Amino acid sequence: MMFAHGFGCDQEMWRLVVPAFETDHRIVLFDHVGAGNSDLGAYDHATYNSLHGYAADVVEIVRTLGLTDVVFVGHSVSAMIGVLALQAAPELFGGLVMIGPSPRYVDDGDYVGGFSRTDIVGLLDALDANHLGWSAQMAPVIMGTPDRPELTAELTNSFCRTDPDITRHFARVTFLSDNRADLAGVRVPTLVLQCSEDVIAPEAVGRYVHEHIPGSVFTQLAATGHCPHLSAPEETAAAIRAFLPG
Amino acid sequence: MTVTRLQNSGGPGPDEYGPLDHLLEDDPADLYENAPMGYLSTLPDGRIVKVNRTFCDWIGRPADEVLGVRFQELLSMGGRVYYETHLVPLLRMQGAVQEIALDLVRADGTPLACLANAVEIRDDDDAPLLMRATVFEATARRRYERGMLAAQRAAEESELRSLTLQMVVSDLAAAISVEDVASVIVERSREALQARGAALVLVETDPHDPEAAPALQPVRSDGMPDNLLKELRDAAGSQLAVELARGVRSIVLDDRLRSGQPALSAAMAAARLTELVVVPVSADGRRLGVLVLALGDGGDDLIDLEPPDEAARLTTADINLLWTIGRQAGQALERARLHEETARQAERASFLLEAARLLAEAADVAETVDRLAGLVVSRLADVCVVDLDSDEGLVRPAVRHRDPRRAHLAEDLRAHHLPRRSTAHPSVRALRGGSTEWIRTVDDEFLREVAVDDAHLEVMRALDLTAVVAVPLTAEGRQLGVLTIAADAQRGPFTVADVEVAQQLALQLGLVVARAQRFDLAVRTSHALQANLLPPSPPALEGLTIAVRYLAATYGVDVGGDFYDVVQLPGAEVGLAVGDVVGHDITAAATMGQLRSVYRALLADGPAPGAVIERLQAGWPLLSLRRMATALFASLDPVSGRLRIASAGHPPPVLLRGGRAEFLPARPSRMLGAPPSHAIEWNGVLPRGASLILFTDGLVESRSADIDEGFDLLLAAATSAGTSDPDALCDHLLSELTGAHRADDIALLVLTRL
Repeated sequence: MMFAHGFGCDQEMWRLVVPAFETDHRIVLFDHVGAGNSDLGAYDHATYNSLHGYAADVVEIVRTLGLTDVVFVGHSVSAMIGVLALQAAPELFGGLVMIGPSPRYVDDGDYVGGFSRTDIVGLLDALDANHLGWSAQMAPVIMGTPDRPELTAELTNSFCRTDPDITRHFARVTFLSDNRADLAGVRVPTLVLQCSEDVIAPEAVGRYVHEHIPGSVFTQLAATGHCPHLSAPEETAAAIRAFLPG
Repeated sequence: MTVTRLQNSGGPGPDEYGPLDHLLEDDPADLYENAPMGYLSTLPDGRIVKVNRTFCDWIGRPADEVLGVRFQELLSMGGRVYYETHLVPLLRMQGAVQEIALDLVRADGTPLACLANAVEIRDDDDAPLLMRATVFEATARRRYERGMLAAQRAAEESELRSLTLQMVVSDLAAAISVEDVASVIVERSREALQARGAALVLVETDPHDPEAAPALQPVRSDGMPDNLLKELRDAAGSQLAVELARGVRSIVLDDRLRSGQPALSAAMAAARLTELVVVPVSADGRRLGVLVLALGDGGDDLIDLEPPDEAARLTTADINLLWTIGRQAGQALERARLHEETARQAERASFLLEAARLLAEAADVAETVDRLAGLVVSRLADVCVVDLDSDEGLVRPAVRHRDPRRAHLAEDLRAHHLPRRSTAHPSVRALRGGSTEWIRTVDDEFLREVAVDDAHLEVMRALDLTAVVAVPLTAEGRQLGVLTIAADAQRGPFTVADVEVAQQLALQLGLVVARAQRFDLAVRTSHALQANLLPPSPPALEGLTIAVRYLAATYGVDVGGDFYDVVQLPGAEVGLAVGDVVGHDITAAATMGQLRSVYRALLADGPAPGAVIERLQAGWPLLSLRRMATALFASLDPVSGRLRIASAGHPPPVLLRGGRAEFLPARPSRMLGAPPSHAIEWNGVLPRGASLILFTDGLVESRSADIDEGFDLLLAAATSAGTSDPDALCDHLLSELTGAHRADDIALLVLTRL
């Protein structure tokens, strides 16, 4: 099973869910380039100017590790990255779990994504407002300096920190992509996990995804918010377990 | 994971503050409600279960409206996303967050900038029970921070611009050619503005016609759609000079542009461009060209955040940077051009020197022109055609192509003589107008306009021409022809310097053609005149065989006034004459003609040779003959052999008899044109079988400058001839006494009495 974190933090997000699958699955956790402990030097604006850049990384990881029959568990934007990875290399994947997916956040005619353009501008502003804690001195700390734990200890909010410019760009790519047309191409068993009262991926959007992926399973979670794997790890794990064969 | 909780830190006891005691002992509930910060507790899903009055007052809602509402619903949309994607995970993972910037939305819809701290209260199993949060108003701080962030971004951008400029300057220092400069400017400016494409377009002004609209020459273009530059040029049109003077200018794809410049707008829209930026490139106030940058919507597939019409991409700092790059480019271009010009001048000088050498060599016009055309296509152009004006219209003595594989196309051109009346063809226009025609862009419309016929059109199309220059060949105020050079798509356009070289060549070629034409005309005229004046062939006479020869001088117009004459006189006698009018030109030839006519007229009375001389001398002033002449007159009776000879300053005739040759001692009297005097006659007999040789001095002066030596050679030649046949004798004498080059005409008359 391969778990991909969404916009915001990093692979730590999965720590409450992963134990439920460790016993009978090989687990692959990773940070998207630009997030967590990834090599920020590998971040290239042009490559990551679309979700395809991230999807290519997923395929590369799977190939490098020599994996097959992968169940890809993607949260939020990574659910769509999974769709694109499947599109690029369908032979590698055996299942897809989409937690709080949205193929397009911005409203478009009859389609309700939940966000207006003004909302996206507001989001970018919100990111800017939380950027000031970042500085070049902190970068090495955040990128991992195990020999200087005292620095890490001093930091607050460190776990979701990364280069603000990258965060901003990732936000743009996440919230301004439109991958609705890619849904129909998914050919593996797919589970759509829908949270309650999710302001980022409302139920209507989850239903849209479910309706456009042939044969997909839709599971409504009691968990509220956008991160059920944090707020309700047992329920989330159980829903995934129920979806897995055998 | 450690959970941090606020604890009462003790501090000074109440006693120490005297009158403040009652305040400090305030009800904790009041302190909670009216604390100078918002305070609230929520369930793990964000539902607010406790809130203080301060918070309610800030957001303008009573507590009962706030309780039960999820905290994130009180946030702005951006704040909600941040809450879900950052605050919730952080709280779950590390139990506390500090100084999270959030915007609350008040009851009236206005935002309230806040900073929030929060802790997560957990049960024994580490499951979340409650979130406690404190909220501080941070309007002023947020404003300050925004200012800081803006300043930081501005500083970063400024640094980037400085870096760009530094790199431009250092790259330009290493740029030698115009192409180098163009490549630096295009690449660096494109990078600096993250432009989709960039191009450097230079202005070429025709120095001979400063009023003409300047030609635009794209030197380097990266990532620009093919048709965009053309559309831009068409749109700018004659306004270009004005546009250049305006400084950095932005052309945004908006409704105004769409209605005013539909073609340009369509080209921009097709390439998904939103804006063109035009930067003047100048040096010392001279406008050299423009740098064009094409800005697009990022070239990605992301949803547009703003309508493109409203996108204001260029900041003042960007404009200043571009302006500076433009000026740096201008100076570098000037340097590069100076460098290239020096090299080009050396090249041009050597080319013109070679051409001058070629033109100075003696050769006929057709060959000279052809060789020059060969030189032109080796150094200056792809195609070279020379048209010369002639009585038969325009003729094409030279057509050359640089590429031997395409020479057959040029040969096809040779067949198409241009009608002199054509008004469209640049060659004809140059010929008629007497000034250079420079066609900078050759398109199919132009070809159709100038083609003589369909075949001509096909040839010109196949030649793939891009530019044509036609320069008239002018001498002494007349247009003698036209030199036309053309460039094809491989070579690229002509420069002003190329055109100047063509003009210098045309000047030289014009002089050569004029000289050759004048020369040709004079030669043809003299020869025609002389041929008409000489009797075609001597008459057949009873008892005599006669042969005559006339050889013109081999060089130039030096046709002389030599003549011979054989005529049957009234009675049995035959009149013989040879003469030589002084000079070697048309006047001499004309004088000879007159002299012969007068001589013939005199013969009607049957005068003796001496009398002929006397009468001619006496009548010379009346005849207004402009040249003096020598002549020898004789009368011969073929039956008796009686021979009378009189000489007016002319060499004596040779008598060849029995293999022996001698000069007849005819004493010369004064030349014709000299004051009259008594002419002495020689009287004798020409025996049967003997030959009489009459000649002009060209025969004896051909091989030897010394006339006496010449006479000896003549006698020796006559002696060695071994024949008395006049034709054979003539041929023998000429072959013995003359070479390939003759400085003077030769008249030779040989007569044998049977």
